[in-house]
Amino acid sequence: MISGITVKNRSVREPVMRWVFTVSALTAVLAVGLICVFLFAGGFPAIGKIGVLKFLTGTVWKPTYDDFGILPMIVGSLYVTAGAILLGVPVGIFAAVFMAKVCPKPLYGFMKPALDLLAGIPSVVYGFFGIVVLVPFVRNTFGGDGSSMVTASLLLGIMILPTVIGITESALRAVPDELYEGAVALGASHERAVFGVVLPAAKSGVMAAVVLGVGRAIGETMAVKMVAGNQTVLRAPDEFLKGVRTLTANVVLEMGYAEGLHREALIATGVVLFVFILLINLLFSALKKERTE
Amino acid sequence: MKKIFALALAALPLFTALTACSSPAGGFDKGTAITVVSREEGSGTRDAVRDLFDVKDADGKENVTEEAITADGTGVMISNVAGNPYAIGYCSVASLNDTVKALTIDGVAATAGNVKNGSYTIQRPFYLATLGEAEGLAKDFIDFILSAEGQAAMVKRCVPIDENAPAYSGGRPSGNLVVGGSSSVTPVMQDLVEAYKAVNPNAAVTIQESDSSKGMNDAKSGAYDIGMASRALKDAEISDGLVPVHIALDGIAVIVHPENPLTALTNEQVRNIYNGEFTKWSGVQ
Amino acid sequence: MKMRKIKDLTLRGLTWLCAGVTAAMLLFLLAYILLKGVPHIKPSLFALHYNSENVSLFPALVITVLTVALSLLIAVPLGVFAAVYLAEYAKRGSRFVRLVRTTAETLAGIPSILYGLFGSLFFVAWLGWGYSLLAGSCTLAIMILPLVMRTTEESLKAVPDSYREGAFGLGAGKLRTVFRIILPAAAPGILAGIILAIGRIVGETAALIYTLGNTADVDPSRGLFTSGRTLSMHMYSLANNALYTDQAYATAVVLLVVVIGINALSAFLAKKIVKR
Repeated sequence: MISGITVKNRSVREPVMRWVFTVSALTAVLAVGLICVFLFAGGFPAIGKIGVLKFLTGTVWKPTYDDFGILPMIVGSLYVTAGAILLGVPVGIFAAVFMAKVCPKPLYGFMKPALDLLAGIPSVVYGFFGIVVLVPFVRNTFGGDGSSMVTASLLLGIMILPTVIGITESALRAVPDELYEGAVALGASHERAVFGVVLPAAKSGVMAAVVLGVGRAIGETMAVKMVAGNQTVLRAPDEFLKGVRTLTANVVLEMGYAEGLHREALIATGVVLFVFILLINLLFSALKKERTE
Repeated sequence: MKKIFALALAALPLFTALTACSSPAGGFDKGTAITVVSREEGSGTRDAVRDLFDVKDADGKENVTEEAITADGTGVMISNVAGNPYAIGYCSVASLNDTVKALTIDGVAATAGNVKNGSYTIQRPFYLATLGEAEGLAKDFIDFILSAEGQAAMVKRCVPIDENAPAYSGGRPSGNLVVGGSSSVTPVMQDLVEAYKAVNPNAAVTIQESDSSKGMNDAKSGAYDIGMASRALKDAEISDGLVPVHIALDGIAVIVHPENPLTALTNEQVRNIYNGEFTKWSGVQ
Repeated sequence: MKMRKIKDLTLRGLTWLCAGVTAAMLLFLLAYILLKGVPHIKPSLFALHYNSENVSLFPALVITVLTVALSLLIAVPLGVFAAVYLAEYAKRGSRFVRLVRTTAETLAGIPSILYGLFGSLFFVAWLGWGYSLLAGSCTLAIMILPLVMRTTEESLKAVPDSYREGAFGLGAGKLRTVFRIILPAAAPGILAGIILAIGRIVGETAALIYTLGNTADVDPSRGLFTSGRTLSMHMYSLANNALYTDQAYATAVVLLVVVIGINALSAFLAKKIVKR
């Protein structure tokens, strides 16, 4: 099989392919580099022209009159994300405990694909569902326009469920069985052992699930845009039946017709979102480190 | 742990209630707040509403209420209004459909006929402009737009000016053409280009979307062969050598939910709804 | 003692309730879309060209397939090769490996709207590709790259070392071992990752609106530079438009069927991996 020629070829091929593999590995680095360069280069001039403080803490967004304050959008993103976490995480954790420790085997065979499907449904379908079901539901039940902070939080709460459940479940499964058995041997009931011993032991995994949920919620665009109302008003937390605009929605709503400084300000909005995401990533990898150590 | 427990308890009723589908409330309650729906910043229609209804403060700046929901696109606007009995919005007369109800403004109905005869004043003209009289392919394309076929192709998006235009009889010249300008005229132009391609496959027309003033400037500089504007040309633009061609009219209808008993508003009432002075439907009657 | 029992029961009840609510949510969503959408699925929805009468989703379907194919064509070789480097060649824990891993994780966390912004700044504007199939696919290729990398690396690591030792023992070179022994052994896992990536592409909207454009019909004469829209974007446009609510439901059904199909395929592959 191995003739002299192939040996010679191999001696060329090996280093060449090694080089190809290395360069391929570099593309991820290159991509992050390019994204940083282009987003920052696109957004920083606008922030410079508008003024950092005026841009980040301004409360009026009227591009036609050169008012570019994105505080309402920053706050809007935070509210909607917090709402989604408040609604989605508790349900997600209980459901994850169910999946890992309670679920009868035949039922698991149904629940697991169901969760995968929930994760796979495109966000526009969620958004459409939000428009036709959630918005009228919120309007008729709680009053207001229907397109509001609560509606967006509710929708995002549903959307982050598979993420939260999936990661929490695997964190629960990673806890050694001895812990559970020890607790039961000491006389704890099944529930007490699970909630009092196993869940606390999986704490960093649960935290990672929450952080990832935050990342998903803060970055979601289309579904949120369709149900949030998109007003650029700085809201108080108790105005949860009124509409807000998130950072993501601000970009996608106005990018179509935007020109000049307006366009740059929208890219700068993306930069602010990017910084948020980088912080979340940092937090996530810190948690992961803690988990592996 | 207890905290999570409490949170979960708070969250559950919300979720379970959801699974029971909501039923719409019966009857129109005039005491309810008006849901004002506006287009996004940068939209030509939004600017037109600002000017036609004079939704401006003392300094001449737009002062649409902060509480207005932002809809990015005619479709989003209509579905927002169609889905909320207490909403008010606006869209091009040509985009009206039976999911929403157009109100009369100062007693005149928002119909294509009334836009054309000028009695419905909430309207704006669509113009094309060329540097000097159009020649060659540009002229043929404009002739097509003003022909029966061209005018028919516009019906979906705006109000054509001449129903009895003669059929297109151009020489089907070949070449490239760049048309650019107003984002409000752009969708009309896309339909026109499609229709033109059907009769003259020799021509390639590129559309570049920007705004009316850029359209006129670039037509002047020669970057565009034909500029598009959703307003009449300014005197300065005409004296710089641009030749305007009036191709269509666009009426802007004020729309509400079909369940809303209201049928008429005055220009001033619309202004007061949009600047946030009237916040409840009872305030309008 | 009794208090504790009640507490236990409530906790147990809550786990059932929360899992039930989650499942009910999915069933409700599916049933709602299917019931409202299936009656509106008509042959005209699949007409060759889109117009405002038939609201055909066929061009969108074609663009979806093309986008998936093109994105995979770019991302899969890069992702698989990068994973081969990380799993088979690199010194574990070297600074370069750490850098690659950190950047891949960063990429995985970036929301799609930022990919869209980047794509429109880089591919559309800077490279001058305009709103095009190529710009959209390249944007998505970067987006799915970390997914392909991670799943491939994991399945490469799952290949037992005895395979490698056996191949080396028989005199095969490293490259030959990788391509003939390790990659085939890891194929189902890699495939599962690719299918996940397809799922992400099919569901994507925000990253495509300002890179692929959002036109209802396709212009085949422009080849890779045609603009268009995928099924999800088509759905988004319809959902936003009160005129086409019925068609939006129908399109949602088609989209759900595609997603369910992708999920079933990946579940099937996952089962196959476990069996080996």
